[in-house]
Parts: sequence; C-alpha cells; structure tokens
Amino acid sequence: MPFTSQIQRQADYHLFSPDTPIVIDNGASYFRIGWAGENDPRVIFRNIVQRPRHKATGETVTVVGDHDPTLLKYFDCTRSGPRSAFDSNVVYQFEIMEYILDFGFDRMGANGSQQINHPVLITECVCNPVHSRSKMAELLFETYGVPSVAFGVDAAFSYKYNQQLGVCARDGLAICPGFTTTHVIPFVDGEPIYKGSCRTNIGGFHITDQLKQLLSLKYPHHANNFTWEKVEDLKMEHCYIAPDYSAEARLFQTGAKEAEDKTRTWQLPWVPPVVEEGPSEEELARKAAIRERQGQRLREMAEAKRSSKINELENELQGLEFLMRQLEEVEEEDIPSFLEETGYLSKQEVEAAHVKAAQALRKAKGEPKGEQIGIEEKTDVSTDEKFPLINVPDELLTPEQLREKRRQVFLKSTNEGRQRAKQRRIEEELERERKIQEDEERRLENPQLYLDQLNGKYRELSEKVEQRKRLKLNGNQTNGGVGRGERLNAAQKERMRLLTTAAFDRGKGEDTFGSRDEDWQLYKMMSKDNDDDDDGVDPDEAELMQVTSRLQEIDPTFVPRVDVGGPSQPAFEVPKFRPLTKEDFQIVLGVERFRCPEILFHPNLVGVDQIGLDEMAGASIRRLSCGSQDLEDRLTKSILVTGGSAFLPGIIQRLEAGIQMIRPCGTPISVFRASDPILDAWRGASYHASSYQFAGQAFTRMDYYEKGEDWLRGYQLRYTI
Amino acid sequence: MEAEVMEAELVLPTHFSFKMAQSYEKYPKGQSSARRFKHLKQIIQAEDFNRYLPDEPNYVNIESPPPLHPCKRICDITGYEAPYVDPRTKLRYANTEVFKIIRSLPNDHVHRYLSLRNAAVILK
Repeated sequence: MPFTSQIQRQADYHLFSPDTPIVIDNGASYFRIGWAGENDPRVIFRNIVQRPRHKATGETVTVVGDHDPTLLKYFDCTRSGPRSAFDSNVVYQFEIMEYILDFGFDRMGANGSQQINHPVLITECVCNPVHSRSKMAELLFETYGVPSVAFGVDAAFSYKYNQQLGVCARDGLAICPGFTTTHVIPFVDGEPIYKGSCRTNIGGFHITDQLKQLLSLKYPHHANNFTWEKVEDLKMEHCYIAPDYSAEARLFQTGAKEAEDKTRTWQLPWVPPVVEEGPSEEELARKAAIRERQGQRLREMAEAKRSSKINELENELQGLEFLMRQLEEVEEEDIPSFLEETGYLSKQEVEAAHVKAAQALRKAKGEPKGEQIGIEEKTDVSTDEKFPLINVPDELLTPEQLREKRRQVFLKSTNEGRQRAKQRRIEEELERERKIQEDEERRLENPQLYLDQLNGKYRELSEKVEQRKRLKLNGNQTNGGVGRGERLNAAQKERMRLLTTAAFDRGKGEDTFGSRDEDWQLYKMMSKDNDDDDDGVDPDEAELMQVTSRLQEIDPTFVPRVDVGGPSQPAFEVPKFRPLTKEDFQIVLGVERFRCPEILFHPNLVGVDQIGLDEMAGASIRRLSCGSQDLEDRLTKSILVTGGSAFLPGIIQRLEAGIQMIRPCGTPISVFRASDPILDAWRGASYHASSYQFAGQAFTRMDYYEKGEDWLRGYQLRYTI
Repeated sequence: MEAEVMEAELVLPTHFSFKMAQSYEKYPKGQSSARRFKHLKQIIQAEDFNRYLPDEPNYVNIESPPPLHPCKRICDITGYEAPYVDPRTKLRYANTEVFKIIRSLPNDHVHRYLSLRNAAVILK
C-alpha cells in the first residue's frame, strides 16, 4: 500500500511539559516525528528537499517533502532535483538536515516558542560514524537549543517493540531490509550485539531503480510515464518474491498458463482516434444528387458555348465564301482596293482564312482526327506558297529581298523540323501500340507461360534494385563510427582516399593545387552530397515499375514485395505504418514482478558483490561466534523481518527456505514479519523514550563538550528497560 | 507568491522562532553546499578505522562479505536463465530471439543494460 505523508500542523505543542521527549525516526525514505508515549508519530513526510527558483520573483525557496506536483508549476525545477541528506544510510548533508528538522519542528507546532525545550531521541544507522553523529548532536544543541539528545538504532527499537508484543523472543535475529541498506542484527538477552551484525548495501531504493530502468528500456516510447513515484507505486502493488527464481523464470519462458495469470498489464491512458463514420445513405444520395445537378449545369453551359461558337464560325465561313465568290468576279487589278474594306491583303490570305475557319468549325463540331491530319497536310502545302522567295535564285533579288529570302529560309527549316518531330512521335505511338498488341496476343494464347515469364522478370529486377539500394544504404548508414572495414561503397572509398591525400602535408615541392580550374572539382567529389545524387530513376527501376503495374493488372494473386528497409526491426519498436491500438499503450509486467526484488537475495544481479538476505543471517550468526548450539537455535527460532521492504509478499517463505539451507539440518526456524514494519521503529523509540530511564541515557550539551569525541563514539543506548 | 502556494504552505519559511541561528545566517548564499560537507567516502577515510580494535564493530566492520556461491546468470533483457554471452556487447541472453533483439539494440540501450549490472565500461 502506498505510504502517505501527514503534514498537518499540530496545535498542542505548548501543552507538553519540557520533560516530554520528542521522538524522531530519521529514515532514508521517510521522516517521522512525534511525542514520546504516543502510539503514532504526528508528522510523517518524505525525507527529501527541493530548492527550486520561483519563476516570478526569482528567489530560491525550499520545499521539504513531496508535494502536489501541480503546485510546483510556479517554480523552475530544472536545476533542483529532490535531494536527500543521506549518502547510503549515513547523514552527511547537514544543511538539508536542517531544513528537514525545521520543517518537522514547525509542523509539530514549535514555531512561537523560544527553543526546542524537549529532549530529543533520534534514530541513526548501525555503527554510525562518529563524524556524522557529532555533527548531528551539534546541530541539535547549537541551532535548536535542545537540552539533551539520545541516539538509537531503528531496527533495534522495532525488535524491542515486537518483543513486547510477543512476536519475538529476547534472543533473536532482526532482519531489516531498509531503503538504501539491509541489516541483520542478532539480539542476545534483549540487547543488540553489533559485533555480529551485518550490512549489505541493497535496499528498496535499488529495487525501484532497477524496475524503473527495465521498464524504460523495454518501453522507450513511454519512458516519460515512468517517474520515480509511479514506479515505486508499481513496485508496492505488483512485485513479489518468488519462492524459487529459476522455476518461476522457466514458467514464464515456456509460456505456461500460470505465467499468464501472473502477468499484470497496466493500461496507460489512451484515447482512440475518432473514426469518422462513413456518411450515411441519405447523405450519399443527397451529395450525389447535388453533384449531378452541378454536372448538368456545367454541361448545359458548355453546350451553349459550343453552339454559339459554331454559329459564329459558320457566319464567318459564309462571309468568307461570299467574299471569295465576289473576288472571282472582280478583275485582278481591282483586288487590292476591293479587299481594303475587308482587311485582307490578297486572295491567298482570304483562301487561307477560309480554310482555317472551316477547320475550326469541324473541330468544334467534333469530327475525327483522321481528316484533320489530311487538312493539316494541306495547310502545310499551302505554307510553301508563303515563302515565294526561296526558290528564286539569289542573283535576281535586291538586297532587301535577299534579307527577306534568308528569313523565309530560316522559317521554312524550322517548320520542317517541327514536322519531322511530329512524324517521329506518330511513329513511336504506332510502335508502342503494336507492341502492346503483340503482348496481348501472346498472353491470350498462353496465359500461364506469360505470367511465369513476367513473374520471373519481376523477381530479377526487384533483386537488382534492392541490392543496389542496400549497398547504397549500407554505405551511408553505418552504426556509430565508420571504420576502415565498413566502407563498402566505392564512392565512399574514393572519398576517403581523397580526404586523406588532400590532408596529407605535401612537404617538398611546390603546392600547385588551385592553379588549374579543374582542381576545385576535388571538393565536389569529396562532398558527401555527391553520393546521394542519383541520375534520375535507374532504367532498372523504371522497368520494374512497368512490370509491377502489368502484373497487378492481370494477376489477381500478385502482391508486390514491400521493400524491407534496413536490418530487421527491433521487436519493441512501434511500426509506423499501422494505426496505434490499445495494446501499444499497455505496459506488461511479467518477469519484472519477481526479478526486481530478487536483488535482495542476490545483490550480484546489480553488480553489488555482497551476500543476500538469507546468507546474511548465516554470516551474522557466524560472526557472533557464540559457540553454543543452543543460542544459535534460539536465534533462528525468532527471526523478525522489519523495515519498508518487508511488505513484499513471499519474503517470509523465501527466508525460511534460504536459512534452512545454510543452517544444520533440523534446526528450528521461524520467521515473522513485524506487526507494522514501517511504524514499529518509531513506536519502539516512543515507548523507550517514555520510560523513566530515558533521562539517564540521553546526554546533555555539557556532556558533549566535556567528554569529547571518543566518548561519543563509544556511546550506546541501552535498550532493555 | 501565488495564493494557492501560500495556502498550501509549500515553501519553508526563512525565520523560525525556535532556532537560535537562522539558516540564512549559517549558510550564506554563494557557497555551494555540496563542497561544504564531506561525502560518506571521505568520512570513512577521515575516520581511519584501522586505528580501532578489530573486535569492535564500526561502520566498515559490519559490511557483508562477498558471496561464496557462484553468481546467478540471468538474461539481461528478459530475466530468464541465460547460459550465453554475446561477445560483441557482453550482454547475457537466453535464446536466439533475444539474441536477435540484442543485435538490433542501439548503442545507448546496450550501455544502459550493462550498467544495470554494473558491468558497463565507462570511457573517459
């Protein structure tokens, strides 16, 4: 279950007498503070501090504990991540510790009084280095004016509390998987024997971190969703400890049904894209009707235009015919003057205009092109007459006429060129038609053979094209740095050669590079863009396209081979050419559920070269070297598991099995979980502080200054009251 | 400060009556706190635990020894048992499908998988 913080400001600070100690459980994950003698701590919050900058004012503020992320939007949190006062399980950052203590005392309601006038019992780690201890004492005495201070180990308090509850006996073992470290402490006669204690630097933090990394690597696209807090929630909800890791892993590997049951999926919020419903029947009908009407209107307009144009042309034609008839009646000499009114200069012009008008009329009426060609040829012939001067020999012409003649020659040649091009085009078309015709005939006579041939050709061509593409791609896209052996492309080889020779310092002789223009072409060859340039579409590719289209037409079973881009795609890459479905947004927790907590028992899975929980128990008993079998039996008979990570399901069975393996056969083993693994430490401390012997255990400021550091190092709390 | 921030009391006040020396006096702006305090490694070095008797428990004494059993070899990607190691990337894998996946991983992912196991080679 997720831990919640309670940071309500307490109002009854002044109600407590100065004798009542304040009890602080200073853990690497949570900070718990409260009054001695009570059952629960008053204030609980996450033991982290953030120092973001306020966006508007620019001042740096301090935020203690975890807070509503929406409020943090007013602050610029980029340069300030959450920071902890702890390094492993030892407090070293006392500035942060001060902020945390400030916050804690403030929420206890102390703001308003002169100093913290109560004795303080604070927890620390096992065998805390004296440097940390003294700095903590200094902080409490100097800054807060605390009269007396006592230090204790949280795991010991937890054990004592459970001993009182009857969960465990006076002699026993406390196994405490914490946030950053795991301890095993033997208890003899109710007192912890630190000589026999054992510490491994693996804790809940490492489990969460491992889970976070694994999920981010497995689902790189959803990496943003895996925040630390979210992953911690996932861990608390879904992780468990398998009784036998290998068996469980094999279960998942074979894909048995039990594995399916044990797999949990987390559906990320995902909104399916809105599928536009196909327009309904009525819509379609309505749209079709509108289109029809529009088409009709357009057709009518076109008709009207055409008919009016035809009318015009007919009129013109008639006029011209009339004119021509008139011309025939008129004498030769009178033609120019006669024609002045109409705007035509000579009889030929009139005739030409007449022919053109007739042509246009026929086109407007929509007659087949065959006749048109004939008419065009006729018009071509008539153009010959336009160049009358060409055939006249040079000597007979005046200079002006010569110029005229040259112009006409030029025009005629261009005309002829145009005609020749037209001719060629016509021939090509006929040729293509003929080929298609032949193809059809071949297909009709033997469809199967034709199909096979076509398929074969398709395969060949696609192979060739792909190979070329692959060469080009491999040459350009080498993973990471390009090494000597990976320059497969000839162009790349050439380029590299040029680069090395160009960079090579030509010692002797004059450097004549650049004296000729062609030298600068070298840079063009060196540039990488050159490789990408392709001279248009390869003839192979063009043919391939043709064959594909042909096959698609005639063969219903033909499926063009999709070009596979590059090496095989990784299994967890989201392919882009299909719409994202719900499954893409699901996080599957299968093996990770029991793989991550496994590091408590096998720290070498994360590279920490130390023994795991079950072996630690054995090491601890060994270190104790008590010698008597009886004591050892008593120790294993009452093993208490406490600390935040004790909540993992399956830890009890696993520990039992593990310890059974290392102890001599037949020893009685019983493992219990503490009644409340998280709060028991604080409760034990609170109970201890409320006893009247506590006053003798705490040391005052005077003691601290007089007795010095050595004494502080030897200071140990007595747990048996 | 915005109203809702004030209401939620998000920010730690700078002055407390119960403190004899306030934070802003003790830690003037400018000096980075990171350099002011010794890290655990430095604390351990400074304390020189060799001075003390080997019998007495101290912070360094009570560390766990390395394990006697051979370490468990599990696949880096899937978590199954992994008898094989990829010679190029040094990742452990369980079967051929996983091997295909390993060979198509970007360099960055390979490094991260290795650092999970504390086996990544960091080039400086």
